[in-house]
Parts: sequence; structure tokens; C-alpha cells
Amino acid sequence: MAGGHIQITDLSRLYGDVLAVDHIDLDMVPGEFFSMLGPSGCGKTTTLRMIAGFEDPDSGQILLDGVDIRHTPPHKRPVNTVFQAYMIFPHLDVYENVAFGLRRQRVGKDELRRRVGAALELVQLEALAKRKPSQLSGGQQQRVALARALILEPAVLLLDEPLGALDAKLRHQLQDELKTLQQTVGITFVYVTHDQEEALTMSDRIAVMSHGRVEQIGTPREVYDEPTTEFVADFLGISNLLSAQAVSGVAGECLLRVGEFLLTARGGETAARGQVRCVVRPERVDLEPADATGPNRVPGTVERLVYLGSATRAIVRLATGQTLQSLIPSDGRPVAFEQGSAVQLELPADALRVLKGGGRAEDAPDAEQVLGDQLEGAADA
Amino acid sequence: MRSRLRHASWGKIGLVAIVVLYILWSLAPVAIAFLFSFNAGYSRSTWQGFSMQWWTGPKSVFNLPIYTDAIRHSLLLAVLAVIITVPLGVSLSIFLSRWRGITARPASFLATVPLVVPELVLALALFFLVTKVNLPIVTLGTSGQVVGQVTFILPLVIVITIGRLSSIPTGYEEAAQDLGASPPQSFRLVLVPLLQPAILASAIVAFAVSIDDFVITQYMSSTSSTQSVPMLIYTATRGGATPALNAMATIMALTTIVIAAVGFALYRLLARREQITDAPATAPALAVSREGAL
Repeated sequence: MAGGHIQITDLSRLYGDVLAVDHIDLDMVPGEFFSMLGPSGCGKTTTLRMIAGFEDPDSGQILLDGVDIRHTPPHKRPVNTVFQAYMIFPHLDVYENVAFGLRRQRVGKDELRRRVGAALELVQLEALAKRKPSQLSGGQQQRVALARALILEPAVLLLDEPLGALDAKLRHQLQDELKTLQQTVGITFVYVTHDQEEALTMSDRIAVMSHGRVEQIGTPREVYDEPTTEFVADFLGISNLLSAQAVSGVAGECLLRVGEFLLTARGGETAARGQVRCVVRPERVDLEPADATGPNRVPGTVERLVYLGSATRAIVRLATGQTLQSLIPSDGRPVAFEQGSAVQLELPADALRVLKGGGRAEDAPDAEQVLGDQLEGAADA
Repeated sequence: MRSRLRHASWGKIGLVAIVVLYILWSLAPVAIAFLFSFNAGYSRSTWQGFSMQWWTGPKSVFNLPIYTDAIRHSLLLAVLAVIITVPLGVSLSIFLSRWRGITARPASFLATVPLVVPELVLALALFFLVTKVNLPIVTLGTSGQVVGQVTFILPLVIVITIGRLSSIPTGYEEAAQDLGASPPQSFRLVLVPLLQPAILASAIVAFAVSIDDFVITQYMSSTSSTQSVPMLIYTATRGGATPALNAMATIMALTTIVIAAVGFALYRLLARREQITDAPATAPALAVSREGAL
């Protein structure tokens, strides 16, 4: 099977007077696992439904392998969908659910039996062919939904939060299976999820969406390690944002003033000047004793330690009132700090990124204060 | 047993007594009417010994043309009511519930208006319409009775079907179309099978209501050939009726009860076989996953 190529240009969808999808452009290359990631209401599902044909765009174009499919009804589009709640037909058994699409195409008896058998084998459900959907577990229903869609050999498979209804352990297992399946069949997967972990572990590329717009498109590593906007930095991983004053810097570097301390940042918009927001991933923040010295360090006080199993999260308050988090891996040694300890935070220049959209000198301190208060409230609770 | 008795309060005993009395009160007349269909004499109020003469033989319910005609006519009206109201009501319900036009709400309200209009008012209105306006097909008699009953029964079918439809997510039809079924095919292959319990329930209700109906059927009747069983029972009680009338009433009551019972059993069977599995909640996933990148 060859993957389909989806090109979306200037696509919009209005609900009442709300722009659910706001003039987005996306290019999903053949054979890739493409995820649309964002909180509910970000427009990801609406975009998916427009590709499937269940919603009409208000403007824009959807090309599938160069052909405009905007006016093609859903049943004639060479794409298939795995629905969020699976929508397995309850009056048909597993075999007939999987055969449903082929029967609409009027394929021959022998071919039907062969292809249904192959599809059931692909998702390891041969033994359950005669079961009714009500006798299946959530994971099994999900496989039926997959087999039912894949049997039609679509150019693109659309998946609308297919793991959302399952418990955490099964979700992890099916993430691996889905990725393997996508590599086996080689078609384009367009995957909608609000779960950053799902998107990061399975995708070739991720479009992070918010309020109907695409915030950033990139590989999982790019969107996680090199977020360009505050939203992406905040949505993926733990919010670890820092307000600073960008003062100067040579090419590719930016000198930041945080209170009375100076830090160098080598990531992101290093040419920005004025009030900026920066991000640093907690696992890149090093916690050191208060007497440690060296560049790119700021002092602070440990406000709270949270044991997470594989690591300990330290919430550290800086002299400026801002808080930053640091992850201390559980390596067998006891954590050398306790609540109230004075520490030095090392923020490596490579890990410190200046985000787009800074420079709002007036309202930035307020926002920072609010963030600080929220964290404080969370710590108290 | 002792401890149960000790815990039973007078309030509870009173409630049980009321329920038992109510059941007896509502069943006793039916039982008595049934009993008198075996009376050896002509009286419908004085017991004169046991006899099967009103059930078999020359004087029986099955040998009086006026009785058998009424039974036949009632059954005809009921069958016609079912045949017309069920397909019409189901199509209307699908149209009303799946159609997102601005007039869907007022339309579904209007469709249920006959439910709240007193039957007598509806009957009078229909009577005027049929007698004063020259309608092409509908005249007093069978056609008028059928139209009248359909008007009255259709909203019941719509209420039953829309109830079931609202529990069927539109996702099933979307899934069918996604898999290559045209909208008419998705309707026939997915929605209609899922609606089966509602279709069956509608048919039972339509049949039972039609068989029972007196007011509209009476107003829209013409000659004695369009006399239904309830009409016959109503007029015959005033004249000199024999216990054969009791036998006929018993037949009608049993028919309705048997059809309702069989239908209910079938409904239970269908509803169990075609359970619509509810999608489990997805909300908790969000809370967990935000921490997941460790």
C-alpha cells in the first residue's frame, strides 16, 4: 500500500462565530505518522473530520494526492477513520463489521473471505470473528475498528483519539502496536490526540495546535526540545518558564538578565531584545549546593520536593519570586536537598531557549506574578 | 420472618394494602365480565350456572355476524394503523432527529401536538373536516377511521422512536459512510437495524391503541359495516345484549394482552442482543498524560 499525500491550505471552519479552525496549512507526506496534538477545542478533531468529509470547510483546500476532495462525499473519499468511541456496529459480529466496507464494494465471495481473514490476522482477532461487539473488551473493539478501516486499503488512515477510552497500561501497549502497524502497512496515519506522550512516542511529525491554529510543526524531538512558542513549551512536558530581560549578545547567543543575575541562552530567538519568556526542560536543570560557582547559575530555595518514582521533582523559588522545576533522577543515592535548602540552579546555555512573542514589557511582570501565585497555591495545596 | 414482621411499620402495611386493593379493584370487573361469558342463562348480571353456549354453538360470539364483523373490522383498522403509522412515524422521527435545520425543533413540537389535544376535540375537528370539506379519498367510514387513528397514533410512534434515536450516536451512520455506504445505505444497513426495538414497540402500541380506540373511530364511522368492537360494546350494553358480548370483550382483552406480552418479550430479546456500548469517559486521560513526559 502506498501512503496518500494530504495538502491542506488556508483551511477554516466556523462554528457560529467561533473559528474552530483558523486558516491552517498542513502538509502530510506519504507514509508518515502525523499527529495533531492540542487541548480540547484546539481544532484538531474538526480538521480531521474535514479530511474525512463529515464537516464542510468554510474556506480553504484539502488535496489528496493532488486532487481536491472538498466536494467529495465521505463515502467516496479514499480515506478511512478509526473513531474515538470506535462505533463498531452493535448488530453485526466482528467478521461482518470488518467485511462491511468490502461488501459495499461488491467484491467476490472468495476475495471477501480472504481479505477479512487477512485483516483479522493483522490485528490478531481471528479467534473472535463470530463475537458480537458487546462481548469484546475496549482493546479488542479498538482492533476491530482498525481492521474495519484498514481492510479498504485507504491511502490515509484517520485516527480520532483511538486510545482515549482505554486504561493507561493498555494504552502504552497499543501505542507500540499502532506504530508497528503503521510501519507494516506503510500508509499515512493522521492521528488526533490531546495526549502529548502518545504523540511523542508514535509520530514522525507533530502539529501542535491551539485555538484553531498550528503553533508548531516538527519531529517529536523538535517540538519537545526546541519549542518555539510559549504554548508549545507549556503544553509539552512540564511548564518551566522563566521571564527575563534580553540585554545583548553575540550572534547565536543572548544575554539574559534575571534579577541581578546574568544567563546566556543559545536556543530559540536569540536575537530578541527586551522582556522575553524562556523555557528550560526540568531534566536539563541541575540542582547544586549553595556554594557551587560557575556561569549560568542562579540561587534559589527549595520550596518542595515531590517523589515521582523514576525521579524527584524539586520546585525551586528564585530570588526574583519566579519558580523553576528541576528533575533529579532516582539513581539510588538519596536526594541531597530538603525543603528550605538554599541551592544553585544551573541552567545550561544550550538548554535555555528564548521563545517567540516576547517583548511585552508592560504586562509580562503581572503574568509572571500570576504564574508564581498559581505555583505557590499548588504548593500549599 | 419474625424480624421482618417486627420491622414492618404500619405505613408499609398500609401501602401494601392499597396496592393489593388497587389490583383487585382493577382486575375484578374484568374477571367478572369474563366469568359471565360462561353463564348458562341470558343474564349478564345474575349467575345461572356454567355453560359454553356463548363460546360455541349457534348463540355463540362466533356465530353472530354483527359480532364477527366488528371483530374483523377492529382487526382491519388495527393492522392498517400499524402498517401506516410505523413506517411513517419512523421516517419522520429520523428526519426530525437527524435533520439540523432551523425548523426541526418547531416541527418536532408540532408532531406531538395531537398527543396533548383531547381526543374528543381531535375527533370533532376531523369530523367537520371530512363532512364539510370534500376531501379526495377520506370519507366517513373505513378511510376516515384509518386517517383519524393514524393522526392520533403517529405522535406515539414518534415519541417512542425519537427516544431510541437519541440514544444512537450519529457516529454509527458516519462510520457506515466512512466505510463506503451511501447515506441511504447507511440508513438501511445501520440505523434501521439499530431501531428495531423501537419499531417493534411502536407497532405494539399502535395496535393496542387502535384496538382500544372508541372516540375517533365512532365519529369517523358511517354504516354498521364500520362498527368496531368498542363501538359495538358501547351500544350493545344499552340494548339487550347476551353474555356473548362478554365473550367478545374477553377475546379483545386477551388479544391485546397476548400481543403486548409477545412484543415485550421480543423487545427485551432485541434490546439485549443489540446493546449499544457506551463509550467510556475519556477525561481522566488528560490529567495523567500531562505528567507523562518524565
